[in-house]
Parts: sequence; C-alpha cells; structure tokens
Amino acid sequence: MRAEYINPFVAALENFCEMMLDCKVERGKLKLANSALEIEHPEVDQAFAKYDITALIGLSGKARGTVALLFPAKTALMITRRFLETDKIFKIDDTVIDAVAEMVNIVAGSAKRQLSDELGLIKLSLPTVVRGRNFEIKYPTGSVWLQIPFNSTLGPFFMQVSFEKIDE
Amino acid sequence: MKILIVDDSTTMRRIIKNLLIKSGYSDILEAGDGQEALEVLEGNTDVGLILTDWNMPRMTGIDFVKKVRGDERFGRVPIIMVTTNTSKVEIIQAIGAGVNNYIAKPFTPGTIKDKIEQTLKQMAS
Repeated sequence: MRAEYINPFVAALENFCEMMLDCKVERGKLKLANSALEIEHPEVDQAFAKYDITALIGLSGKARGTVALLFPAKTALMITRRFLETDKIFKIDDTVIDAVAEMVNIVAGSAKRQLSDELGLIKLSLPTVVRGRNFEIKYPTGSVWLQIPFNSTLGPFFMQVSFEKIDE
Repeated sequence: MKILIVDDSTTMRRIIKNLLIKSGYSDILEAGDGQEALEVLEGNTDVGLILTDWNMPRMTGIDFVKKVRGDERFGRVPIIMVTTNTSKVEIIQAIGAGVNNYIAKPFTPGTIKDKIEQTLKQMAS
C-alpha cells in the first residue's frame, strides 16, 4: 500500500468531523500494521487503545481494501450524541451502532470520490460494525494496514486503512 | 408537502428529518430501502419530494429511482440523491436514471435546505 493513498481518507475524516460533528480532530503518527487491530502506537496509552467498537467498510472495483474506525465506547457515545444532536443516549445500542456505521460509510465514500476520479470507479460495501476487543481482521490476505490515531473534543479513536490499486 | 426520506441508516434519516423540521417541513415519511420506499409511495401518491440514498440493501437508490420514473404517477416528483457516490461516473448514472439534484455526504445543515429550495424552484419553472 502506498502511504499517500491514506491521505484522502484522512482528509475525508477531518472533513466529516468538521461538517457533521462540529468537531476538530488532531491526528497522531502514521504507523504500519499487519492486521486491522494490531495497535502499538508508542505515544498511545493503554486507555486510548481500549477500543470497543469497530466500524468497517470494504472497497472493491479499481481498488480493493478495507477502512476501519475503532472507538472506545465513550467516544462512540459522544460522537453519536453530537451526530444526532441529543444528550439522551447513555449506552451502546442500535442507535450508536448505526451512527458509527454511517460515519465509516461517509468517510470511505468521500475518499472514494477522489480516488475514483484518479484510479477509476471504486465501489463500497455496506458497513459492518463489530463490538468487543477479542478479534482480529486480516483480510485481504497479505495486506498492509496504515493506522492513524486521532484525538478530538469527543474523545480518541483510530482509523486504519488497507488499500491496493487493482492493476489490469 | 409530503417528503419521503429513503436511507438504510436510521441515523441519517433522523438527521435529515430534523433538518427538514427545522426548515419548516413537517409531513415526513421514511423508508429503509428502495423496496420499502415503493410500498410507502403506493399509500402516499401525493408525495411532493423524495430524498434518497444510493447504497442500500434489497433495492438500491438508483434502482428505486428507475422504478419511480417508470411509474407515470411519480414521473414529475422531484428526487434528490443524498449519497457518498459522487464520482463523475456515478453522477452521470444518477442523472440518467432520473435524479434531479445531488447532495454529497457529508453535508452542512444549510445544504439540505438550499438544495431542496433549488430543486423545487427548478421543477416549478
């Protein structure tokens, strides 16, 4: 995976947070990983790394890959509250799951727009959300993941992207 | 005026619905995919505007738009696509299917109101 391919995803994430959450994000250091949940950022403390909810979406067409957003439960709650303009969400429920699914859909979709104009049409799968910490995602086989930690006024979270251009 | 929101994300339907209410629209219908939207239209042939997502299970937004445009009862109903599918190829495909206007996700609150007003104005002229 070429490192510059992550830039449209980072820009899309920052744009989403600003436009739909009225939230500024601060990105941490980019790191390579062999799987989606191998989080070993030296600057990330253990509390940061306690992700509970992972929203995933697949890319196909002229490129293949996966975009994952990983959230601690509290961050997911805070994002959902801001997204829906309500304080009446107190636990991880279907509303929160749907909100983070839509977030990864919008972020991946925005990046896809730029990448499709460069590489040809890229398609998105429907998003999937996984709860819990004891799992690992390694698809596609042999893929390399780029991971970036973010901090925001709504809490910390991670973005991880695996992306390969399909050569014909 | 009745407005139909079609999106598989309850979050997005709720956000759009709230924005419509703030803009003064109150008669709002919802559907979670294209198939459900067709069923809603059967019972509400007086719908005056449709806002639809593209990527949905069961029936996609683009297939839904084609079905609507193929039904003479809804041939003139304005349709706005609210989607992340905004590459040039996709926009051309959507316009070809019968979409009147386009809103890219993410959007600001003002975008929904502006695009609706723009679309209704265009359709009235």
